[in-house]
Amino acid sequence: MSQGEIIESMRARAEKAAAVVSSAATLEEAIAYAVNLTAEEGGTTLAAPGMDDAAREALGKACGEKGITLLDSPLRDKMTRIHTAFTWADRGIADTGTLVLNSNSEELRLATMLSETHVAVLPTDKVVPSMDELEGYMTDHFKNGAGYVAFITGPSRTADIERILTIGVHGPERLHILLAENLDGGEK
Amino acid sequence: MIETPETDKAFKKQIKTSLEKDFLRKTLNNFFTSYRQSRGNVFADLDLEGMREDVACMKDAGIPNLSELFDEFKKNAEAAGSIVHVARDAEEANCIIAQIAKENQVKSIVKSKSMTAEETFLNDHLEKDGYEVVETDLGEWIIQMRHEGPSHMVMPAIHLSRYQVGDLFSDVTAKKQDPENIEGLVKVARKELRPKFIGADMGISGCNFAIADSGVIGLVTNEGNARLTTTLPRVHVALMGFDKLVQDYSSAVKILKILPRNATGQALTSYVTWIKGTNECATAPEEKKIQHMVFIDNGRLELAKDPIFSQALRCIRCGACANVCPIYRMVGGHTFGHVYIGAIGLILTPFFHGKEKAREIVKCCLNCQSCKAVCPSKIDLPFLIKNVYAKIQDEDGGKPFKTRMTSMLLKNRRLFHTALKTASKMQGPATDGPYIRHLPTFLMGEHNFRRLPAIADRSLRDDWKYVKPKVKNPKIKVALFGGCAGDFIYPEHGKAFAKLCEAYNISVDYPMDQTCCGLPTMMMAQMDTAKEIALQNVKAFKSGDYDYIVTLCASCGSHIKENFPKLLTKKGAVPADVQAMADKLIDFSSFMNDVVKVKAEDFMNLGRKVTYHYPCHLIRGLGVEEAPMALLEKAGVDFKACDESQVCCGFSGSFSVDFPMISKTMLDHKLDNVSATGATTLVTDCPGCTLQLKGGIKARGMNVTVKHMAEVLLEEKK
Ligand code: SF4
Ligand code: SF4
Repeated sequence: MSQGEIIESMRARAEKAAAVVSSAATLEEAIAYAVNLTAEEGGTTLAAPGMDDAAREALGKACGEKGITLLDSPLRDKMTRIHTAFTWADRGIADTGTLVLNSNSEELRLATMLSETHVAVLPTDKVVPSMDELEGYMTDHFKNGAGYVAFITGPSRTADIERILTIGVHGPERLHILLAENLDGGEK
Repeated sequence: MIETPETDKAFKKQIKTSLEKDFLRKTLNNFFTSYRQSRGNVFADLDLEGMREDVACMKDAGIPNLSELFDEFKKNAEAAGSIVHVARDAEEANCIIAQIAKENQVKSIVKSKSMTAEETFLNDHLEKDGYEVVETDLGEWIIQMRHEGPSHMVMPAIHLSRYQVGDLFSDVTAKKQDPENIEGLVKVARKELRPKFIGADMGISGCNFAIADSGVIGLVTNEGNARLTTTLPRVHVALMGFDKLVQDYSSAVKILKILPRNATGQALTSYVTWIKGTNECATAPEEKKIQHMVFIDNGRLELAKDPIFSQALRCIRCGACANVCPIYRMVGGHTFGHVYIGAIGLILTPFFHGKEKAREIVKCCLNCQSCKAVCPSKIDLPFLIKNVYAKIQDEDGGKPFKTRMTSMLLKNRRLFHTALKTASKMQGPATDGPYIRHLPTFLMGEHNFRRLPAIADRSLRDDWKYVKPKVKNPKIKVALFGGCAGDFIYPEHGKAFAKLCEAYNISVDYPMDQTCCGLPTMMMAQMDTAKEIALQNVKAFKSGDYDYIVTLCASCGSHIKENFPKLLTKKGAVPADVQAMADKLIDFSSFMNDVVKVKAEDFMNLGRKVTYHYPCHLIRGLGVEEAPMALLEKAGVDFKACDESQVCCGFSGSFSVDFPMISKTMLDHKLDNVSATGATTLVTDCPGCTLQLKGGIKARGMNVTVKHMAEVLLEEKK
């Protein structure tokens, strides 16, 4: 499979799992996407753990223009108020449309678990065909003691009432993936 | 509370009550159909057999080494700050967890879904100790508030309607909730449980795999509650059985590729969470999570050493063995299981919860092989169920009178066959053509849903010398395995076969020392008798130099092919004569289509409307799907496809006598589907199914003739 086909599969599978998939050519575009989406949804807050200083600064500016509060650490104080989580994804798994997030940071976990909407930027060169190719990544990740990794495929869901699929139980109700070529700006 | 019937009477009463629950019946019917579809779709382009084989092999490699895997896991997890415990049994596991709560001044606890915690009745224990315990999986939360056990391993509240949930949530929120708005009901859980997560001191999770070479555990979930449970509270306890241990990441991936697909038809669940050691946690001392791993034995390590039952530890708890089980479909998990439900529940219950809880439910298996066919770990569930049944009877000492009688009779072929002949003479005045007109009183009542056939005046063996095909220089030499029903109830099937063979220049022997295949004794869990009878049959067929041993009974066929070698294994090896018999055994349809290779031009085209019923033991037991379809096509019939043609008709020998109400409901389904095709002939490949189908058709007064494939081919033959 070519990387193009891998990305196509990533997109198709993620959409099948009820994620919204878009592209972002620059970090500014990704930020604008997250901020505009938050505003459209009537959200007033955004948490962005794991962004580097430059990204945070640009975010702060974009949020300010839309009257959105960029939440600071620690998020423990703001657990009931996180509308959007804006994060990087570490890897993508094409054949299931899955995001892989290094979730060692508690801030990142709180943001991605408690928000209503999760927007994740996925660098296209980090998408692998299947879970099998993550063996090295997982080994490295857990080599040095404690760790927490999340595979995320679409928004939170349940079918516990009459087997009717319903989105958004305990986790985010919406998952947006921004496929980004040649983009960098935080810890991954 | 889970109440599992411990007497025959209580069990039958519960079955009856379950069958009368309209919502349950409707919802499980829909589930039965839609599960098959979604499973079919999600595996469409994948090598399902290869994936199953991968899981089974990987698990089999681990099971003998669980202790070593545990040591390795413990070393790695502890190096990352976790505290690893071993609990010998349920009580000990509960005490360990209560102690952890106590040491950490815990008050409130949130839980994500764990079947193992259900196994130990952990909630009851913790609540008794004064802790607030809140289930956070939606289905678990619902049943917790209703004080019920799960009725399915993956969908614990599948037995409840939106109205029942609506009422419950109206109570919880003290506000009327609209039951038609399921999304609204789900949001109630989101809203009500958020503060519980935020306020909890301790989170308890289960675990889908514990990876030895890294000390990582994996959780496979959809709702996102397991992530919150393992993140927000300052203490995290993961409870898991020893069977969750796997060697490495790639072993876990083998499970991960098949588990969600087989469980819910999803390529992957919304979340897979991988956790190792003491992660960041702002509210914990030193900002490091207090992390405990509790491994429970509860008989697993003993089970791992058992030559037959160790297979049960391959289970990855996908729930599929319930999804496809016709009994589960009829009565649901609160009747068909204890804590663990479905086929695997029947097997695990005596080991985890005692034989009292298993004694009745374990009888309730059709041996239809549906569970085995979908199990991602390739567990031979029906065989294990019969072995559990045998084990319980052995431990109980005395076997039921009926069982002892049957066993004794079947062991002695002459006696058995004489008894059948006597019965055929005695029933004279009571028969009405080929049906018994007046059932003996003990068979009255609930058995009237079908007319039972009479024993034929002359059996196949009585007439064999006239029937035997007269051929010179045969191109194929075969022996016929008749089976009881083929010999004594429907000799016309065997006669049709003999005539076909004569036409195709095939010689047929009918070794007179053959007897019942023994499957009925295995169904009654008389393993010793089953072995003895199997041996008698191997001897009866041993001397002949046959190319094939053909049977017209799919049940006998699959029993000989699959169970003879298992039953007669000696010191880990299958004796050559046993294997030879199993290898030569072939069912009628495969023989005619694949060996004789009959051609379309051999047949007239009578144009009758025909539909087909797949015997369980043909489609799943022997894995034959195409041959019957190919034969019907060659025979030129007007074929009408039937819905659920591969679903059991509800016969299963003595099952239909023991559980007439279930058997009847299954037969009703079958005949409704047959009726809908508009066919006038219903063809099948098994005299047992013939008996059930004919009896039901006669009782209903339907205008459909039931025929064995051999009869149809003969009638169509030019
Ligand atoms: S063999 Fe059939 S009846 Fe028995 S447990 Fe399996 S699916 Fe259910
Ligand atoms: S026995 Fe097989 S089918 Fe049943 S739950 Fe376990 S893995 Fe799934």
